[in-house]
Amino acid sequence: MADFEEQQNLLEEDDESSSGERGSASGADRQMSAICDPSRALHRVVVLTFMCFLGFGSYFCYDNPAALQTQVIQDLNLNTAKFMQLYAWYSWPNVVLCFFGGFLLDRVFGIRLGTIIFSLFVCVGQVIFAAGAWLDLFWLMEVGRFVFGIGGESLAVAQNTYAVNWFKGKELNLVFGLQLSMARLGSTVNMNIMGWVYNKVAAAVGSPGYYTLGASLMIAAVTCVFSLICALVLGFLDKRAERILHKEQGKTGEVIKLTDVKDFPLTLWLIFIICVGYYVAIFPFIGLGQVFFIEKFNFSPAEARAVNSIVYIISAPASPVLGFMVDKTGRNVVWVITAVVATLAAHVMLAFTFWNPWIAMSLLGVSYSLLACALWPMVAFVVPEHQLGTAYGFMQSIQNLGLALIAMAAGAILDSRGYLVLEVFFCACICIALIAVVMLYFVDYVKGGDLNQSAAARAKVQKEATSDAEAKRRPSKQTQGDLARLAPMSAFSLRNRYLSRLGAQLPDHCSTHLSSLAYRSVLK
Amino acid sequence: MAPAVTMRSNRVFVVLLVLLFSFCQSFVGGTKEYQRKLIVSVNPNATTLPPGGDLLHVRAVGNDDTLHFLFCSQGAPTLLIVHTNSSTSSVQVNWPQFLSRNVSGGLRVEPQSSIQYSIAVVFSRLLEYDDVNDTAKPDSGFFPPYELQNFKWTRLQLFGAAALVCGKTPEFVNGSLCLKLSVFDSDGRAESWPRLLHSPNSSQLEVWLDGITTQAPNSRFLLELQAVGGDFPLSRVDVRQFIDDEFTPSIFKVSEWVSPAAGGSDVLGYVQWKPVAYRQSSPALEDATPCRYSDPQSQDANATAASSALIRAFFSAHNVTGLNVSFGLAGEPFYNSTKFLSWTVLVGVGAPPVDTFSPIVLTIMAVGLGIPVILLLLGGVFVCIHKRRQGATAAYQSIN
Repeated sequence: MADFEEQQNLLEEDDESSSGERGSASGADRQMSAICDPSRALHRVVVLTFMCFLGFGSYFCYDNPAALQTQVIQDLNLNTAKFMQLYAWYSWPNVVLCFFGGFLLDRVFGIRLGTIIFSLFVCVGQVIFAAGAWLDLFWLMEVGRFVFGIGGESLAVAQNTYAVNWFKGKELNLVFGLQLSMARLGSTVNMNIMGWVYNKVAAAVGSPGYYTLGASLMIAAVTCVFSLICALVLGFLDKRAERILHKEQGKTGEVIKLTDVKDFPLTLWLIFIICVGYYVAIFPFIGLGQVFFIEKFNFSPAEARAVNSIVYIISAPASPVLGFMVDKTGRNVVWVITAVVATLAAHVMLAFTFWNPWIAMSLLGVSYSLLACALWPMVAFVVPEHQLGTAYGFMQSIQNLGLALIAMAAGAILDSRGYLVLEVFFCACICIALIAVVMLYFVDYVKGGDLNQSAAARAKVQKEATSDAEAKRRPSKQTQGDLARLAPMSAFSLRNRYLSRLGAQLPDHCSTHLSSLAYRSVLK
Repeated sequence: MAPAVTMRSNRVFVVLLVLLFSFCQSFVGGTKEYQRKLIVSVNPNATTLPPGGDLLHVRAVGNDDTLHFLFCSQGAPTLLIVHTNSSTSSVQVNWPQFLSRNVSGGLRVEPQSSIQYSIAVVFSRLLEYDDVNDTAKPDSGFFPPYELQNFKWTRLQLFGAAALVCGKTPEFVNGSLCLKLSVFDSDGRAESWPRLLHSPNSSQLEVWLDGITTQAPNSRFLLELQAVGGDFPLSRVDVRQFIDDEFTPSIFKVSEWVSPAAGGSDVLGYVQWKPVAYRQSSPALEDATPCRYSDPQSQDANATAASSALIRAFFSAHNVTGLNVSFGLAGEPFYNSTKFLSWTVLVGVGAPPVDTFSPIVLTIMAVGLGIPVILLLLGGVFVCIHKRRQGATAAYQSIN
């Protein structure tokens, strides 16, 4: 396979360059300390730090409206429907941009310039948002969220691509886990701190009002500037590493072909429905959660913000643990059913009882992490590799479309009918996801049960694939170079394509961009 | 595995059905449709228009009992409800005695022996305080109170079974305090927020402050209510929580100022309200402002009788308790932001009405939870059939 051979070349070049450095001027060794040497672990840790903080600003500022809901509504005289527009406008650009993110990063800008550009969008968007609040112009705030949205999601793709480029093999899981934790940390810090920031600014300015709101949001924009600085530093370090190690710029490896949509199997469409039905009951709910806890459960504003952020706090440690568990046991469909039922239970608890909401929100946090770990990898099991980019792009696109529409609907429902009807609406969305996952279970069962295989069964199939791959690798080496693309597909590659359709997990070194895509949207 | 799943889901389905039916029954089919015939008269048997304020009398006749609703703005606006166990009881007004406000007996319900229970609510004072630090703590900064008995009240305006009266005082400049009483002949729910559920045994009073010029820019208001209960005074306020805020979005509590019967569990009469006031006449969700109440305390019975003609005329010996309802919390906008504040209260005899779910909520939950269960059942059955069919044909062995 072309990828495998490319990876072989890179590894050989790595060996050559490092041996070359050792062999030639030994002065080269003395000039670069461990922290400056891109091939050494310490330098990669430094790069990892910058990579993690790259997404911090975007996640911090995404949930600013939720953390300041009462203040935004009061200072700008909005109703809840207009307030939720701030979330809808974040999602609208991503309906289209999900398809082009990979393309822009690979072909148009390159990963380094692309990351800097998207960070710039995030920063400028948040500044426009804050300026809109400062000047009491709601349309300007919507424009700011739109610009912020253009940068936000694509920045996550860029962050993933950097990770895949710098860290390979077993380290990659740890890196993704750390990136996810940093993202969640950003959301949590935002929820718990912005209220305090607003009060301090109000005390300094004298009274609350849209000036105070604008100033608080400008302070939040500082985190975006910080992320922009990280992007610049990362770009510099990556360019330097490319020069020293002679490796190429990372690529997302996504190929989007919209005509592939007609080949999507029924199971994939069911997975799309599950994705939309589930996430629209999580994010708009967190957006409106603070006032719900204040009104229904008589929490103080600080307490309400804390319980609202518990979903993010739990998902930071739970995602790597649950991901490990799902990897070890397999049976993804069963885990998805568990997660959906648990979320339904949590929403029913919040709607129909006065039980302590910490219980329901903790359950929501665990089930949200579980679903992310079990659902997104399933796409890789039902879709062949060359269509994976299209499938993920489509999934994110309709997810964002659903979020945008339901955010507005949720605001309108709350304004006219109150919280119980809103919660029942969210329960109905989860029930749609539940219907889809039950159908998925049966469709998959009838088709042979590939999605719901245990990890042991999957590993067995994979072992057979690699042993065949080893046997067939030697003859294919003769067709290296440009001619390799023109030669007919070998039995090896044909078998791999077949096995990838079955859902056999190919080892990481066979397809780096596969693992990148599989984790790409765990950040959502 | 599939048969076990089917069995379990069968049991779950049956349990769900049972729950659903008992749910429906308890919430939808519980109340009986009860109606009263309403007869409205203003200033009954009066030869001339009484100066200062009108007396509204609504007779709500049931099968074997009558409720007399009396509303008068002579002095402080007062609502009096008398429950008699005869459907032919009537109200006799001795107008000279009534208007002199010196002795009791000016208003009698005949026959006297048929009176079961009587409850009266007096709106005695409106208090204004300057909330300089925006703490909404009515401790200090009080301006001289507005005594509602000294207001100049307009004539009663009738709209079917509803009556409107407005009062002014020179300090208000152009503003007014209005009261609207609605009496009902059947169960139902008001159209405008807070959409309190009412029964034929209750009446709804809306109070609103419109266009008042405040003494300070950061003023907040308190309304003082006094309740006269005869033998059974309104002694405590119960706060009930419920999960359905469909009719009053974001409000999950209802406060009931009740007069408990001897024995303690039954309730003879009530004043019910939701702890919310609205800052616009056609409010949206963000116009809601919370309100709090103080504990009921005994009041001077003579002072109350002196302030209200209706109390003086009807009650000879009575107990009076009073409480304050304060509008606004720390951080909420002040009265001056919209110059409008409205609050609604339900006064009635017997037990207060209990809110129920609307059919939409029940339908959505039933459909939403029922379909996956049905799908599980159908899928289980289908898989069973599929397996049996597969088992029948010769099974191909896989080669490797």
